[in-house]
Amino acid sequence: MSLVLNGTTGITNLPSINSGQLGGRRNIVYNGEMKVAQRSTSVTGLGATSGYFTLDRWFMFLQATAGRLTMAQVADGPAGFANCMKLTTTTADTSIAAGERLQLLQVFEGQDLQQLKKGTSSAEAVTVSFYVKANAAALYVCELLDSDGSRMNTQSFAVTTDWNRIELTFVGDTASAIVDDNTASLYLSIWLHGGATFTGGTFASNTWAASTEANRYAVANRTSIFDATSRTFFITGVQMELGSKATEFESRSFGEELALCQRYCFVMAPSTNASVAPAFARSTTVAFGIAELPVTMRATPSLAFSANNDFQVQFLGSVATSTAMAASPELHKNMIAFTATVSSGLTAGQGMYIRDLNGGATITAAAEL
Amino acid sequence: MGISNINTCKYFKDSFGSQKNIKVTTTDNKILWVPMDVENTDYIDVLAWVDAGNTIEEVD
Repeated sequence: MSLVLNGTTGITNLPSINSGQLGGRRNIVYNGEMKVAQRSTSVTGLGATSGYFTLDRWFMFLQATAGRLTMAQVADGPAGFANCMKLTTTTADTSIAAGERLQLLQVFEGQDLQQLKKGTSSAEAVTVSFYVKANAAALYVCELLDSDGSRMNTQSFAVTTDWNRIELTFVGDTASAIVDDNTASLYLSIWLHGGATFTGGTFASNTWAASTEANRYAVANRTSIFDATSRTFFITGVQMELGSKATEFESRSFGEELALCQRYCFVMAPSTNASVAPAFARSTTVAFGIAELPVTMRATPSLAFSANNDFQVQFLGSVATSTAMAASPELHKNMIAFTATVSSGLTAGQGMYIRDLNGGATITAAAEL
Repeated sequence: MGISNINTCKYFKDSFGSQKNIKVTTTDNKILWVPMDVENTDYIDVLAWVDAGNTIEEVD
C-alpha cells in the first residue's frame, strides 16, 4: 500500500502520522520534561504553604493539610526522558479536613491560548498527555480550569508502579472565551489530595461546566497522596496540545526551555567572586546596582535576595560586605535594580561592582502567574 | 498564585527615588520585595491581604 495524495480526498493510506515529532511548538506546557529547576532541585517538608519550590513553572497548591512531602527533580523517567518530578510523602495525613487540598498545577496566560478558540462554535479539543508512575496503584484527577469564565473539566487517570503514558482528550468548550491578555486564564492541575470541600459533589468526566468546588476531586476511589508515608508520585513528559490525538512529546533544548521559563522566574546564581552587577555609590554606605534580565518578564518582577552577607561591594581595590540588600522601586520587566548597603567607605558617584562573596549569593526575580 | 503566608508589609522608598515598593515578610521569615504593579501576582496578594483588614506600614 502506498501513500496517495489526492486533491479531492487529501492524504489516504496513511496509517500513522505519529512516528516522530511533527514540528516545533505544539506543546503549550512549560518545562514538561522537568529540565529546568532554577530555584532548587529538592525541597523537603512541603505542606504548610503553597508556592513555586523546585521545577520551574510547577506550582504546588497546598492548603490546610498536616501532610508533608518532598518535591524533587530526579534522574528518572521513561526512555528518552532524563528527568522527572518526584513527590514523596514524608508525613501522612489520614484525617482529612474539608478544606484540604494538594494540586500540582501550571498556569497559562490568556494571550497564549487564543488558538483553543474557546467560547466559539469551533472550539478545539485539547489533549493532555504525561508519563507517570508511583510506589503503588493510585487514582488521581487531571483538571482544566478556565479562570476567566469560571469553568472546569475533569478526567481521572490511573497510576501504576511502571511508567505509563496517560492521554486525556478534553472536548472543546464553546462557552466562555479566554481573555487575550498576560494574566492567568487556564490552570492545568493534577489533583493528588482533597477534602470534602472538593470531593463532596458529583464527578463529571470530560464535561465543561461551571466551576463547582465540590465536584473537582469527587471521583470515586480517588487516592490521597498523603494516605501513607510510602506514597510516591513521579511525572514527566507533560504535554498539552490542540486536537484529539496525543502526539509524540515535543522535546525542547535546555536553552529554549530555560528562556521560556525566565519570562516568569529568573534566578541569578553566580559562583564565588563572580560579578552580580555593575554599580555606583549613591552615598558613603549605599551602592546602587542594575542587572539586565535575559528575557522580558511577564510583569515587573518581585525580588528576593539570599543572605545579606552573601554579597560584597568591590571598589578601588577594596571590598566591603553587604549588611542589607533591598530592591529598588526603579525596576521593570527588562531590568532589575537594587541597593547593597555597607558600613562605610564608599564615595558618592564612585563606580564599583557587586559580586558574590562566598558562592551562595542569589537574586530571584519572579513574575509568576 | 503568589504569597500565601504574608506576615507583615511595609512600604519602601530608597533615598534617591520617588517610587515605592513593598517589603513583605512571610510567616516563615522570608523577605520579598514586591513592586506596586497590578500585573504582579504578589502585589495582588498584598492587596487581598489589605482587603482582609491588614495594613501596610508606612516608610520609615
